[in-house]
Amino acid sequence: MKKIALILLISLSSLNAQYTKKVQLPHISFGVVIDKDFGVMQRNCQWCHSFGYVTNQGKQSREFWHKIVLKMRDVYKAPISKQDEKTATDYLFRNYGNGKI
Amino acid sequence: MKRRDFFKTSLVASAALLGESAFGDTTQMPNDSQELSKVAFPEKRPLITYSDRPPLLETPRDAFTTAITPNNEFFVRWHMPRIPTHTDIDEFRIKVNGLVQKHIFISLKELKEEFEQVELTAVLQCGGNSRSAFKPQTSGIQWGSGAMGCASWKGVRLKDILKKASLKDGAEWITLNGSDKAAFNKTPNFARELKIDEIKDDVIVAYEMNGEDLPFLNGYPVRLIIPGSYSDSWVKMLENITVTKEYQEIFFMDVAYRIPDNKTESETPTTPALKTKPITTMNVKSLIGYPTSKTRINANTNVTLKGVAFDSGHGIKEVLISTDMGQTWSSSELLKELSPHSFREFKYRFKPTQKGSLTLMAKAINRLGEEQPFAKEILWNHGGYKYNGIDSVTIEVV
Repeated sequence: MKKIALILLISLSSLNAQYTKKVQLPHISFGVVIDKDFGVMQRNCQWCHSFGYVTNQGKQSREFWHKIVLKMRDVYKAPISKQDEKTATDYLFRNYGNGKI
Repeated sequence: MKRRDFFKTSLVASAALLGESAFGDTTQMPNDSQELSKVAFPEKRPLITYSDRPPLLETPRDAFTTAITPNNEFFVRWHMPRIPTHTDIDEFRIKVNGLVQKHIFISLKELKEEFEQVELTAVLQCGGNSRSAFKPQTSGIQWGSGAMGCASWKGVRLKDILKKASLKDGAEWITLNGSDKAAFNKTPNFARELKIDEIKDDVIVAYEMNGEDLPFLNGYPVRLIIPGSYSDSWVKMLENITVTKEYQEIFFMDVAYRIPDNKTESETPTTPALKTKPITTMNVKSLIGYPTSKTRINANTNVTLKGVAFDSGHGIKEVLISTDMGQTWSSSELLKELSPHSFREFKYRFKPTQKGSLTLMAKAINRLGEEQPFAKEILWNHGGYKYNGIDSVTIEVV
């Protein structure tokens, strides 16, 4: 455990040493809907992208959102569980759906 | 000539009509009502912001009155969440490996001092620019018209870099990879592949943009420049060139950024094209930078419309303006051509006499005689790529 911590520390510090100029990207809040399933979105989506990707897409069908979730899992290799696949699709359709299945 | 044009138009129009009757959807004007973010990103002024991680920034319409897009207004599009910040430039190397006589590691200093320096002006445009025009909406960022820009790029010929590494016999392809990384190891890298004998002299590895270091968000310290091609090929933060004999399977070339491989490059949501091809070459396009939909103009005053037009490098022959919804067209004045690959500025003077809404349209024609179709004639593809409809801006005359 200690060893891992040390290695981590070394790799982090060497990473820092590579940079001379700090570039900090600002954080932006995209006003995404927070409901009972939001935790599933947080733990599955934010590894790779902001919620701007969701809000920008506009109201879509359930099939559309389900395909997107599958694309994230199968193409981009996000480790989305079977349960979370359904919950995320439900969340997206409930809050960003156009009523069409 | 006229008759052929009419025939061409009616073919496109009937295809569009077919699409319309089958799905009740037609291509519209791209979204033109996005607000600027209140937050500025490093080296940028506040732009239209679709995401902060990865950063997706769009240039507003009013920037497109000049042939050169300023660095702080230039659009930004990344795919991967982990983007290294400015590397210590003394440590930075471009690594060339694979089927080469010797692996080489080129520092920025060597790039600037040991190679012939090349400067060129070229348009950089996302293949999904104007995607919001497509109906039904396709997945992907719903860009308006500002996922494009034109800059003067300075760097070194890719060919010269390959020459320095001395290719081994059988070397046919190169894979170019940037420093940005995915969150998961298994996520495909955003890399590009080029066939060595198809690399032209104007493909360069650039370290300068409009006389300055590349902005961090546009790929500092070096990026690939491929004039005429969409920006998915212009690898940012280029750090590795691998030479191979065989073509390597790459997700972003073999699955994403592809369009139907048929005559009209189109398909329908229910009958996707079986054969596809990479988007590669840009089509002819124009954009009005002034006036915009927010402009109020007094009746009976002189107005100068300004905009930019471009194609994949044949050059712009003409930009026509219509003030009567495309029934009649007049020539605009074309300004100096910086290069066949750059934005070509156009101007059109007019004096609105009637109060009320006035729609201005711009249609570019390139030197091959290819011209922009009306927005509603643009046929659908699943990725929402290559929209190039006639531009249109509606202003209020008061």
